[in-house]
Amino acid sequence: MPTPSPARIHDFTVVTNEPIAQDIYALRIAAPELARRLEPGQFLNLAVPGNAMSLLRIPLSFAAADPDEGTIDIWYAVVGEGTERLAQMQPGATSTVLGPGGHGWTVPEGCTRALLVAGGIGVPPVLCLARQLGAAGIPFDVCIGAATASALVGADAFKDAGAGAVLLATDDGSLGHYGFCTVPAEQLLRDADRHYDYVATCGPEPMMAKIAALAEEAAASCEASVERMMSCGFGACATCAVETVHGMKGACMCGPVFDAQEVVW
Amino acid sequence: MSTVDMAVDFAGMKLKNPINTASGTFGFGWQFQNFFDVSRLGAITTKGSAAEPWPGNPKPRMTEVRGGMMNSVGLQNPGVRGMVEESGEYLADLASKGTAVICQVAGHSTEEYVAALELFEELCPWASAFELNVSCPNIAAGGAACGSTPEGAAEVMRACRPITKRPLLVKMAPVRLPEIARALEAEGADGLTVINSIPGMAIDVHTRRSKLSKPTGGLSGPLLHPIAVRMVWEVCQAVDIPVCGVGGVMTGEDAAEFILAGASVVSVGMASFAEPDAASRILDELEAWAASQGVSHISELIGAFEC
Ligand SMILES: Cc1cc2nc3c(=O)[nH]c(=O)nc-3n(C[C@H](O)[C@H](O)[C@H](O)COP(=O)(O)OP(=O)(O)OC[C@H]3O[C@@H](n4cnc5c(N)ncnc54)[C@H](O)[C@@H]3O)c2cc1C
Ligand SMILES: Cc1cc2nc3c(=O)[nH]c(=O)nc-3n(C[C@H](O)[C@H](O)[C@H](O)COP(=O)(O)O)c2cc1C
Ligand code: FES
Repeated sequence: MPTPSPARIHDFTVVTNEPIAQDIYALRIAAPELARRLEPGQFLNLAVPGNAMSLLRIPLSFAAADPDEGTIDIWYAVVGEGTERLAQMQPGATSTVLGPGGHGWTVPEGCTRALLVAGGIGVPPVLCLARQLGAAGIPFDVCIGAATASALVGADAFKDAGAGAVLLATDDGSLGHYGFCTVPAEQLLRDADRHYDYVATCGPEPMMAKIAALAEEAAASCEASVERMMSCGFGACATCAVETVHGMKGACMCGPVFDAQEVVW
Repeated sequence: MSTVDMAVDFAGMKLKNPINTASGTFGFGWQFQNFFDVSRLGAITTKGSAAEPWPGNPKPRMTEVRGGMMNSVGLQNPGVRGMVEESGEYLADLASKGTAVICQVAGHSTEEYVAALELFEELCPWASAFELNVSCPNIAAGGAACGSTPEGAAEVMRACRPITKRPLLVKMAPVRLPEIARALEAEGADGLTVINSIPGMAIDVHTRRSKLSKPTGGLSGPLLHPIAVRMVWEVCQAVDIPVCGVGGVMTGEDAAEFILAGASVVSVGMASFAEPDAASRILDELEAWAASQGVSHISELIGAFEC
């Protein structure tokens, strides 16, 4: 029998839930046992109360897990009914979370320098990885892209995690490079003085596809955290399929982090 | 301690209780083993599998709707051989613990159903029964399901019946049910599973595109439960073979409605997604309801609906 998902149902309590940017909230939940079991890049599936007509959980990455405090930090964009409902949850509110889901980042053995590229609300799983790299003393640089300055999150947090360069880009030019963050990423990857052997990315698919191609050119291994519409999050429904060179693979079990060269973008 | 005997007869099988799982919502069973003891259930029904693997449809394959969801998975499956290799050992063990393992058979044409069922018959000695999913799009018929007409459904059943002595069930599309049910009974079906998801559409009005990768998808969930109860009741009026009720079962009372409408068995579907141990809870709730009815066997309540 294949290995079933490590996910279990855990109770959680909201500690804080506040806006940190335009339509982006930082949610801290207390779920002590789960906080100890999470690996960077895995995901959670939250039941958000308040709508009897909504029957599925909401899959979300996490930006940090504190095993000592038993807390998990989630950053989410309010994009529809479910995330609006999540934004209504007040400190002290309780519900359940299914996790950990899937498998996370696999930093290659002997990695000497990494490049992290996050677009929009793709920041949380990448930030989580940054903290792991920082703790392991592996140097890394970061490119963050967002639609506009007021929707760009994580710049300071990446610096706190020990990032070297943190390059920003906005679609409207209101902060950093005017355009996509793939442009500064390309400059860094082509810079002969920075020899990256690992690239990690999460964000819109066209961005990740471009980063995967650039990494391949630079002979760096590349992982991408891929989002799909998920019904279960533990391998039972096949709604989360990602096309790979080895056929369809479920994002919730084989991902959400994939070898970017395996994904058919 | 319950005083109600929950065992039921279904299509020649003795099930320890009437709770089954809907194909496509319960994987191959092992996905749930860490959430609850799957061998508590009377039966499980596995994801529809074909003679060869199917890749399924492009993304997005799912969208949530009020009171349910729509999917366009397109019956992605590992093929019978892949399924046996991956899950055969687990399913054989489950069957040995007295939970019936119903293997769903997928195909795009009568020939493909035959090919798949022959493989199942050969490779799955542990399977308790087979369920033909005649709702798959039939390529030769321009995409309409083989099971959408009495003639088409009967043709598949007639071709498949000689392949196995084990119980053969048919998962019915929500169309022309009583007449198709009679045609299937005449061709030797042992039982009917009613209903498959109902075709629906969900349009993103901002982009004017479907919320799925295809114009339509299969609707599941409590929003279709009253329709499914009505359809189960109509099929039970039309045929003598037993029926498994499926559609929007979230609680023991939802399951009880199917039993009262005439179903011998009830499948839990998408309820298992958000709550992986839903089938186990629903079993407990169904048992409590049966006890509240003052019967000693739940089978006394099958079809006990009074108008
Ligand atoms: C593994 C994984 C990790 C994720 N991590 C985060 C995260 O850390 N922060 C965050 O803000 N969001 C994250 N998401 C996306 C998040 O799940 C969706 O934004 C959320 O479910 C939208 O729900 P809604 O009801 O508010 O929106 P809906 O009303 O359902 O939809 C609004 C819009 O969001 C899109 N959407 C809905 N569900 C998803 C989904 N599962 N994946 C991608 N887009 C979706 C829809 O296509 C639509 O355009 C993640 C998704 C996955 C699969
Ligand atoms: C993601 C998904 C996949 C499904 N796959 C199948 C399938 O392979 N074969 C089948 O007969 N029905 C399939 N169904 C339909 C269910 O078995 C069931 O008939 C339907 O969902 C109604 O029950 P529910 O409302 O309890 O979910 C699928 C449903 C869902 C949600
Ligand atoms: S979300 Fe159900 S299989 Fe991945």
